[in-house]
Amino acid sequence: MTPILRLREVSKAYGPTVALDRVSIDFAPNEVHAVLGENGAGKSTLMNIIAGFVAPDSGEGTLRDLPLPFGRPFEARRRGIAMVHQHFALVPAFSAAENLSLANLRSPWQTHRPVRDAGHSLALAEQLGWKVEPDRLTQDLPVGVQQRLEILKALSSDAEVVIFDEPTAVLTPDEVEDLFRVIRELKDRGRTIILIAHKLSEVMAIADRVTVLRRGAFVATAPITDVDADQLATWMVGEVPGTRTPVSASFEPGLRVTDLHVRGSRGEHAVRGVSFAIGKGEILGIGGVDGNGQVELAEALARVRPTAAGSIYLTGCDLEEANLAYIPQDRQSDGLALSMSIRDNLLITGHRRRELTRGPFLRRRAIERWTGDLVDRFQIKVGSVRDPVSSLSGGNQQKVVVARSLDQIPDLLIAVNPTRGLDVRATDYVHSQIVAAADAGAVVALFSTDRDELAALAHRTVFLSRGQLTDHLVGGDA
Amino acid sequence: MRLLATVAALGLALVLTLLVFGLPVADSLRLLGEGAFGDKFGISRTLAKATPLLLTGLGMVIAWRAGMYNIGGEGQLIVGAIGGAAVAAALMGKVVGPVLNPLILAAAMAAGAMWSGFAGWLQVARGVPAVISTILLNFVAIQLLAWTVQGPLRRSDGGLPQTVPLPADTMLLKFDRQLDLHFGLVIAVVAVLLVTAFLYGTRSGFRLRLVGASPTAARANRIPSERVAIGSMMLSGALCGLAGGVEYTGITGTLGTGFPQGWGFLAIPVALLGGLHPLGVLLSGLYFGALFAGSENLARFSTGGTTLIYVIQAAAVLAVVALAPRAKPAKIKEAAA
Repeated sequence: MTPILRLREVSKAYGPTVALDRVSIDFAPNEVHAVLGENGAGKSTLMNIIAGFVAPDSGEGTLRDLPLPFGRPFEARRRGIAMVHQHFALVPAFSAAENLSLANLRSPWQTHRPVRDAGHSLALAEQLGWKVEPDRLTQDLPVGVQQRLEILKALSSDAEVVIFDEPTAVLTPDEVEDLFRVIRELKDRGRTIILIAHKLSEVMAIADRVTVLRRGAFVATAPITDVDADQLATWMVGEVPGTRTPVSASFEPGLRVTDLHVRGSRGEHAVRGVSFAIGKGEILGIGGVDGNGQVELAEALARVRPTAAGSIYLTGCDLEEANLAYIPQDRQSDGLALSMSIRDNLLITGHRRRELTRGPFLRRRAIERWTGDLVDRFQIKVGSVRDPVSSLSGGNQQKVVVARSLDQIPDLLIAVNPTRGLDVRATDYVHSQIVAAADAGAVVALFSTDRDELAALAHRTVFLSRGQLTDHLVGGDA
Repeated sequence: MRLLATVAALGLALVLTLLVFGLPVADSLRLLGEGAFGDKFGISRTLAKATPLLLTGLGMVIAWRAGMYNIGGEGQLIVGAIGGAAVAAALMGKVVGPVLNPLILAAAMAAGAMWSGFAGWLQVARGVPAVISTILLNFVAIQLLAWTVQGPLRRSDGGLPQTVPLPADTMLLKFDRQLDLHFGLVIAVVAVLLVTAFLYGTRSGFRLRLVGASPTAARANRIPSERVAIGSMMLSGALCGLAGGVEYTGITGTLGTGFPQGWGFLAIPVALLGGLHPLGVLLSGLYFGALFAGSENLARFSTGGTTLIYVIQAAAVLAVVALAPRAKPAKIKEAAA
C-alpha cells in the first residue's frame, strides 16, 4: 500500500505555544484515517496545514510525490484536498443551491443560475441518497443537512483527500449513522478520508487506521484492529500524575450547587442537573472536552448567565453580595476591553471596591495607588498603566485579569482555562496565584481541558460530559 | 503630537478647499479670520455659534462612547425646543421670567431625553439599531415642529406660523445688547466639564465607557449593559434637547419651521473631530463656531462662502479621522487547538 499523502517532520508554533512538533504521518488511499487527540493536541493545526490554510514553520509534505502547496488553500483544493470544516462556511440567507453553486463559480461574465451551477453537487447528493431541496434557505435547514451541504461543496471538485474536522460534534445519533454510511461509500470509491475526532467509540466504529497526537507531538499510528479504547485513551492523555494533595475531607463547607440547569446561548440545555459541593480552600477541578457545558456552568456560578433551575448556595454570605472572582475563558473578548487602558481594565473590578470609590465617584488618587500596587505585586510588565491593554503580551494581559480578580481573597473563584495560550512561566505564575487564593480560604472552581493542569492544582476532579457530571473521563467521550 | 497633526490637517483641508473653489487663499483666510476673531462682534459670533455645537457634540460623545450610534441629535434638539416652547406657552405670564427660563431648559432636556431614550429602548428591546431609528426620528421631529408651530403653539395674532415670542426677561442673559453672545455659552462650558467629570470620574461613566469598548467584557463582569445603553441615549438626548432650549431662549425667542439650523447634524463631525472626548469637543466646537462666523464674513465678499464651509467641514473631518491612529490589533493570537 503506497501512501498518497505523506507528512515529514512538520512543526508549527504560535508565539510561545508549540502547536505541532515534528509530526510525520502517512495516509493511504481507500482508508478512513482518524486523527485523535485532546483539545490542543494539534489536530486542527495539522489539518489546516494539509488543506493549505496554514503554512508550517518547518517540515515537508507530498501528495502523490509532488510537494504540498503549503499556505495556498486554493491550490491545495485544485490538487484534490478538500476540507469539511467544523464551523460551516455557508451563507445563511442563501438557498441550498446558491450555497452549493459557490463551490462551482464560473466566469463573472456568465449568468449565474444556482440550480444549474449546483447541478453536479445535487446529482452527487442523489447518488449518496440525500434529499436536498435546492430552494430552501440554508438558515432554515437542520444542522445535519447544513453539514451535508458542506460535504457536497467539498466533494464538488472530485477531491481525492477529504478532511472532516470533528464532523459528529453537532449531529444527532441518526445523523452520525448516516454520515458514517457516506464516509464508507466515499472510501469505497477510492478516496482518502481523514477524520478528526475525539470520541473513541466513533473512531472504533469507522476508522481503518488511527493516529494519536498529544500536545503537538506524534504518539503512534496503528490499524484499528490492533488497538482498543483503553489503549487509545492512554495514548491521548498520557500517564496521569498523582494529585497535588491527597483528598482530605477537612474543608469547611463552602459552595453547594444542587440540581443546576443552565441554558446555552441558543437556548439549548447546556447544563443538565449538576450537583456538587466545594469546600472553603478547596480547588475542584472540572474537566471534560470543550463544549460540554463548561462555559455555561462557569457563567452561571459567576452570575453572568441566568440559571434555568436548581440552586447555588454559598455558605456564610449572599451570592449577590459575595466577592466573586471570575477569570473567563476568552481573555480577549470577555476578560478585557482591549481598546481601554491597563488602568481601566483593572478598574473593571476596582470600580466596585468600596475603598476606591466615594458614592458615585471614583477616587483618583486611591486608584492610582491601587493600580501601582497591583502592577508591582503581580509583576505585570507595563510601561505606563495608561497604555492600552492590547499593547501587553498574552501573559501580561492575563496577569491583568488575574490581578484585578485576586487582589483580595475572593469568596468564590471561577477560572476557565486560565492558562490557555500562555507560556510556561506565565502558566506557573497563574497557577501559584490560584493555589494562593485557595490556601487563603477561597472556594475555587477550576474549569480546564488540560488534564495536567487539573492534576497539578485540583484537590478533586470531576468531569462534564454533555452537561452532566461524571467522576472520571468516560472512554466514549474522551 | 496628536493635536499638532490635527491642526496641520485642518489647515491643509482649509487651504486645499479654497484652492479647489478658486478663491485667493491669503485673502480668504484673512476674511475668515477677521470674521471669526477680528472684533468683539466676530468673537461673539464665533462663541454663539459654538454654543449649540458644544452641547450637541457632547451629546454625541456620551452616546457613541457607549456604543450607541446616535445620529438623531437634530431631532432631539428640535423636540427639546418644542418641549421648552410648550412649557413657555403654558406658564408664560404666570411665572416670572428668571424662574420660567430654567423650567424651559429643564423641559427641553426631558423632551430630548425621551426622544432619544425611545430610540435606545428600540435597540435594546426590539433590536432596531439606533443608527436607523434616530435618523427616522429626525424626520418625525421636523414634521412635529411644523405641526406644532402651525397648530397648537401658533401665535394667535395671525402672523407667521411661529410661537409667541418670549419676553426679554425670559430669555437667557446677554452680556452685551449689541451681541449674540448669551449665557448659554456658560451652560455649554459647564456641561463640558460635567461630562468630563462624569465619563472619567464616576462609576457610571466608567461603566458607560466599558460597555462601549467591549460589550462582552461588560457582560462577563455583570454590568447591566442594556440599562447603560438606554441611559447613555437619554443623557445624549438631554444634552441635544438642552441645545434646542438654549438656542430657543438664547437666540430666536420663538419657534418656526426655520428653527433647526443643523446643529444636531453637525454634532457628529464635532464629536468625531474632538476624538469623542469632551475636552476635544470644546476645541472642535470652537473651531466649527469660528468657521461659521468666519464664512459669513467671507460670503459677503465672495460667492459660495457658506457653501464653502460645509465642504471645509467635510474635508477637515475626513482628514482628521483618517489620520487618527488606529487601535492596534492584539499582538498574540491564541494558539489554535
